[in-house]
Amino acid sequence: MTTSSVSSTVVIKPPATRKRWESWLIFVVVSLYFLIPLGATFYWSLRGEKDVLGFEAYRKLFADTNFLPAFSESIVNAIATIMLSLLIVVPTAYWVTLRLPKLRPVVEFITLLPFVIPGIVLVFGIIRLYSRPPLLLTATYDSSRVLLICVYVALSFPYMFRSVDNGLRAIDVRTLTEAAQSLGANWPAILFKVIFPNLRVALLSGALLTFAIVIGELTIALYMAQHTLGPYMANLTRSKVYEPSAMAIVAFAITWAAMGIIDFVGRGSSRHAQMIDTD
Amino acid sequence: MSYLSISHITKQFGDTVVVDDFNLDVEKGEFVSFLGPSGCGKTTTLRMVAGFEIPTAGRITLDGADITEKAPNQRNVGMIFQSYALFPNMTVAQNIGFGLGVRKEPKEMISQRVEEMISLINLEKHANKYPYQLSGGQQQRVSLARALAIHPQVLLLDEPLSALDAKIRVSLRAEIRAIQKKLGITAIFVTHDQEEALSISDRIVVMNAGLMEQVGTPFEIYNFPQTQFVANFVGSLNTANAEVSDPVKGLVNVNGVQFITASDIKSRKKGDAIRVSVRPERFSFVSEEKKDNVLDCVIENITFLGSVVRIQVRIGEAKFNMDTFNNPFLDLPKIGSKEQVTCSKEAVLVLDE
Amino acid sequence: MRPDPTNPKSENPTVGGAKRPPRLQLGHWLGVLPFFLFSGLFLIGPTLILAYRSLEGSQGGLTFDNYRQLTSNTVMDAYEISIRVSVTTAILGGIIGFLVAWVVSRGGLPPRFRLITTTFSGVAANFAGVPLASAFVFTLGRVGVVTALFKLLGVDLYRTGFSLYSFIGLTLVYLYFQIPLMVLTILPALDGLKREWREAAENLGATPIQYWRQVALPVLTPSILGTMILLFGNSFGAHATAYALTGGLFNLATLLIGQQISGDVLHNPGLGYAVAMGMVIIMAFSIFIYSILQRRSERWLR
Repeated sequence: MTTSSVSSTVVIKPPATRKRWESWLIFVVVSLYFLIPLGATFYWSLRGEKDVLGFEAYRKLFADTNFLPAFSESIVNAIATIMLSLLIVVPTAYWVTLRLPKLRPVVEFITLLPFVIPGIVLVFGIIRLYSRPPLLLTATYDSSRVLLICVYVALSFPYMFRSVDNGLRAIDVRTLTEAAQSLGANWPAILFKVIFPNLRVALLSGALLTFAIVIGELTIALYMAQHTLGPYMANLTRSKVYEPSAMAIVAFAITWAAMGIIDFVGRGSSRHAQMIDTD
Repeated sequence: MSYLSISHITKQFGDTVVVDDFNLDVEKGEFVSFLGPSGCGKTTTLRMVAGFEIPTAGRITLDGADITEKAPNQRNVGMIFQSYALFPNMTVAQNIGFGLGVRKEPKEMISQRVEEMISLINLEKHANKYPYQLSGGQQQRVSLARALAIHPQVLLLDEPLSALDAKIRVSLRAEIRAIQKKLGITAIFVTHDQEEALSISDRIVVMNAGLMEQVGTPFEIYNFPQTQFVANFVGSLNTANAEVSDPVKGLVNVNGVQFITASDIKSRKKGDAIRVSVRPERFSFVSEEKKDNVLDCVIENITFLGSVVRIQVRIGEAKFNMDTFNNPFLDLPKIGSKEQVTCSKEAVLVLDE
Repeated sequence: MRPDPTNPKSENPTVGGAKRPPRLQLGHWLGVLPFFLFSGLFLIGPTLILAYRSLEGSQGGLTFDNYRQLTSNTVMDAYEISIRVSVTTAILGGIIGFLVAWVVSRGGLPPRFRLITTTFSGVAANFAGVPLASAFVFTLGRVGVVTALFKLLGVDLYRTGFSLYSFIGLTLVYLYFQIPLMVLTILPALDGLKREWREAAENLGATPIQYWRQVALPVLTPSILGTMILLFGNSFGAHATAYALTGGLFNLATLLIGQQISGDVLHNPGLGYAVAMGMVIIMAFSIFIYSILQRRSERWLR
């Protein structure tokens, strides 16, 4: 077979590993740009009391009579937005996948619109359209609030639709539906026992992303004269010295929590979702 | 010295030995296949010839020159990938001309060579198309032309047909073999598909767990497997536990039924536990021809496989498959009926584990 | 042309009545109706009314007068600064974001740095608005921590011409969400670069530089350009961060519209509508180019 006479003890040194200091340099410098503002803000937030570092600024923030109402109003708005958005987007994505595939380009086009129409332009149009009869919706604070939530719902469509659509693609909804039908399941059973449980992660991602965007939204709420967290924060930066830093840290923590949960559930998604649902 | 010589190659990744003391001499114009299951080290060996991996120990020489540690872009070997690896931003013609372009060959020479290659693979109509506009089979042909355009000393093919449909796989492998013969180019072909290796190669290297199991022509590999692994991996095989009853005469006892084998079992003692293997097509019914072993059996099951009919028979307590060619006038026995089957003593293999 | 008897598909489906046209079920449309209703009422309707008003003359009738007045100094300045900030942050954010994405995916850093980077990018890309502006005020404002540190070193930033409330400041703040957006959108494209392409190029004799110039960069170009255009739009339409940072007084297109809503600062409602529609047109154009480039890159990187 082999007539080679070369000895088998020739050992070759492994090639030297490539230098990576350039990579580290870039990573560290960019990290500094992102971390220093957070560090500086956190440092300021600890200086609410004279001469000592402490959490005085946070205490003052939470004690502010306007903070909690604005915060809770924003949370309620966000939850209402998420609920309404889910109710609208899930059937739409499901129908577009299963029954009306011809509508898909139209729906996808519409979900691009929130990126095309800047928030400031949208609120401009909303005010012009709904501030006089026959569509007078800005007459009272509460009717404006309903209008605001409806606008948020429309703005959440891109995030919601993409999350749900990805979820539906991942589980091959057509086959699942047909399998359930062939086993005798009716429509409610298919939706609530088969589709929704398998979409849990997708729905949660879309919901949390919407939450992160709506909770501190400024532009639209501001011009619709709503007392939500966004306008409250903007006002705070003008009237107080240390509280805005505490506020920024709290806002950052909320965004981080929402994104962290999305990441966490997304990573174990395919495995976990199925394992939990077998009980 | 032979054209391509791979001697005492070992490759370790950390503590894992992926290729262990691999030795092979390939003659100019020869078509050699590396055959084995995934993870057996066949692709790693090929990548060492291409220069994408450097061996931990050993030497590779090509046409007298040591290329063991040469950079991939300094070697003159053509490689074909399972995923085609065509550059998506270039047309068919640009892909084929890439290797000559980076060598700064004159423009006229490049376009002439590209034309030559395109007609070699019969894609004249598609010269200005992009890879995504082509079928998988067409893409792999472009990839072949791209590798050949640089006049490589060796052509390396890493499972080039695995991503293709069954029909195209068969026609393209014939095309690859025809082009290889026409150009007289030396080729190494990595595959896990035994039929592919048997049909295309001059010689086959069967590998398992980093080790070479057997090297030989397709005929030798199939008919005279030297190890249990080779026999099992190439073709289908019946295997049964047995006991040596007479080492000198070559008699073995399979669950109370006496078989005679031509394999050398003189080194074994009476009563030693062994395993015997018989290929399904080596059995036939006694009514056709009587051979060394004549065995009583019961028909257990009959499966129609197209060109072949697979009959499961019980000989004593052991079950064996026998394959017989299908024809419209075939007179098949009934399930449960008692018959006699026969096979030669050469067909009964006793192999190293 | 005769129908091919061997091909059932060429048969006229109405002959023999074997196939009926699909039934039009109202129930099918009910599932998508709320979606179209909301989009129509709260996205398309408001935009159309602006479009209509922008074409309305002061004496009634349809006219392009309002669009002609876009060339007035205030409006042109606002558009110009908006576009300058957007182009700058798109290019800088694009380059830096690409480098970061490259470093964490192929630069040889431990894999967990990639995970940290994508998670943080998800947060930072959505961390716009008031909190972001605050964070930079506490860092680089007149009494910011970094400003103070520079003072300790003997450099008064605000004497060197730097201001957080200027073009440079706004650019610096916007990069905080632009870079992460670039990282998040370009990472999949980088992952799409197949190892086999590099190996095939090397195998054919190419040097690493030749591989980069002739294969990797051309393959990535549509994604890089497309994402930069996306960044442009992201910055061009941004209002909250700039509002929070400058109190709405900086001359930026979005801030100008904000002022126009609060009170008719342009002294011409029609011009306000035209400014808004001008933004929509620029945004639509950039998203359009983005989707064309994105489609090309998906075809290549599939």
